[in-house]
Amino acid sequence: MRFWHKILLAVLALFIIALDVSVIMVMKKSWQLNMDSETRRAASEQTLIANNIFENLDSIRARGNTLTPVLLASVAQSYGDYYRSQGIGLELRENGRLIYPSPGGGKVDGQEEQTAEQTIKLSMPLPAPYQDLELIYSRDISGLYAQQQELNRFFVMINWIAGPVLALLLYLLIRSLTKPLKQLSESARTIAEGDYPNRVELHSRDEFGELAVHFNRMAAAVEQRMTELSDMAEEKQRMVDNLAHELRTPLTSMQGFAEFLTSANIGQEEQIQAGRYIWSETVRLKNLAFKLLDLSVLRHQPLLLSEVEVADLFETVSQTEEHKLQERGIPLEIDSSIPAVRGDADLLASFLVNLIENAVHASQPGSPIRLLAYEQKGEAVLEVRDSGSGMTAEQSQRAFEPFYRADPARSRLYGNAGLGLSLCRQIAEAHQARVELESVPGQGTVIRLILQLPNNSASYSITSRD
Amino acid sequence: MAHILVVEDEQPISDLITMNLKLVGHTYAKAYNGLEAADMLEQERADLILLDVMLPGLDGFAVMQRIAHLQIPVILITAKHALADRIKGFELGAEDYIIKPFEMLELLARINVVLRGNEQAVPAFVCDGVEVRFAERQVRVDQQAVDLTAREFELLEVLIRNRNIALSREKLLELAWGYDFAGDTRTVDVHIRQLRKKLGWEERIKTVFKLGYRLEVQV
Repeated sequence: MRFWHKILLAVLALFIIALDVSVIMVMKKSWQLNMDSETRRAASEQTLIANNIFENLDSIRARGNTLTPVLLASVAQSYGDYYRSQGIGLELRENGRLIYPSPGGGKVDGQEEQTAEQTIKLSMPLPAPYQDLELIYSRDISGLYAQQQELNRFFVMINWIAGPVLALLLYLLIRSLTKPLKQLSESARTIAEGDYPNRVELHSRDEFGELAVHFNRMAAAVEQRMTELSDMAEEKQRMVDNLAHELRTPLTSMQGFAEFLTSANIGQEEQIQAGRYIWSETVRLKNLAFKLLDLSVLRHQPLLLSEVEVADLFETVSQTEEHKLQERGIPLEIDSSIPAVRGDADLLASFLVNLIENAVHASQPGSPIRLLAYEQKGEAVLEVRDSGSGMTAEQSQRAFEPFYRADPARSRLYGNAGLGLSLCRQIAEAHQARVELESVPGQGTVIRLILQLPNNSASYSITSRD
Repeated sequence: MAHILVVEDEQPISDLITMNLKLVGHTYAKAYNGLEAADMLEQERADLILLDVMLPGLDGFAVMQRIAHLQIPVILITAKHALADRIKGFELGAEDYIIKPFEMLELLARINVVLRGNEQAVPAFVCDGVEVRFAERQVRVDQQAVDLTAREFELLEVLIRNRNIALSREKLLELAWGYDFAGDTRTVDVHIRQLRKKLGWEERIKTVFKLGYRLEVQV
């Protein structure tokens, strides 16, 4: 049974019961009042008649006549005839013996009996000295009954008409009141079926409006989660696809060239070429494996941050990259205006080495790479700046994605797995630091790591010790 | 034998494929991305395209759409295993599909199947006065017809199509006799001896130590 069915039936039943009960009570009261007033009227009329008869009898006696039953009957008859036309019957009894109407008029009796229920019958003795005489007054009130019956019929008719009309009005009212419920339920259904951007259009200020607001808030939260999840799944899928590509490509080459070396009828030059490819692809696979290992270790180990001397850090980095820089004829310019930063020395070195390697690959021989450390707005900044080929906005945006290479052909030449910047991002996250990338095609790239200064962290560590 | 366009952005794989193609007597052209491939096909005709799916710029599927009007058979090469990709490739009209990492012999075999299906006239193979006509299944030595059994001809064709590459006895059985042949690898030795004798190719068909046999022809 639907909610609106329940409301409709409940309200209808309640209303009709309340209406009927009150109407019945009103009718009953009105009947009682009518009866009372009829009875009072009958009583006063009877008294009036009794008094008149008494006066008549008095005057008869004053004239010296004796009151014979026949005389009495004739007196009573004169009244009886007069009142009969008004629907009033009179009886006169003397000590219980009927005097008027004459005890043979069966026709009148029969009539009286027939309507006995619809008459008011009152009896009273005449005032003294005629207390032996009893006047019985009966008044026909069938009109009152007829009126009551008419009212009853009318009441039943009203019930027959009012019931359906009420049901119809209630139906319309309840449908319009429960419309928001239907809307909500419809929206919930479509959202459950996967239409996450769907919202309820409901602007009433009642409980339904409130529910709609909460519902929409919930739908928005669900939608956001779903988007996040699908984005994540998409990124994971891309990562797996890329990883598959990164693994299959060197493996194909290694397998193919090894096969070629053992089974093909080739000269020394080709043998050397094949051997060199096997070597370079092995290096590439090794780099990939180590970078993946680094990423996984970073993800699963908490960092212990300490004060790192910038001079030492830069020294380590430039020593590591010295050979590559010299090979390509690229000078490294170092400038530091802060003594130390807070971080993990090995990871920061790895971060800078990765950036410098990228910069070396992007730069022309002779174009310098700058390695800077300075303070900005109370934070430490480590910056690697080159004047190399730069990246477009789209490339910059995807630069931190695992396996993304702005220039695949060239970076693969160096055994680059496309994981350098992913690793950098992971290192930054482990430091709770920010990475900024600015790049202009043809002009170069700047990457900054924004870290805590050691003095900030000193106060932090004191408070944390407390 | 055939002119093949190799579209592959990975330098090592591109070199690997072309070195093998050269070995068995095909000529080739190389393209390193989709746009380059499409441009090259405007200029010169190719008998077959080996097309990598993951290419910078224009991917393999886009290249197929662009060159569909040229009606050149395509074998797709990809690292992706996904069924959807394979179906898409076939829908676009690819003849075959090979997944990295692959064996060179497998790629060559697939190339041969596609070429055989598309070539109208297979040119005869000529070497040292031996002429092998594939269409007629005839072999002539110094203009004289030589009788070869069907199996010997199959074996000869496999050796020619994979020339300069050592083929193990098992591989030869698989390629010339078929997978379901339950024979001994010594059967191969017997047939090779027959071929050497009939064609006078004692020096051409080399026994490669620990590997098998190789038909050596100057590239």
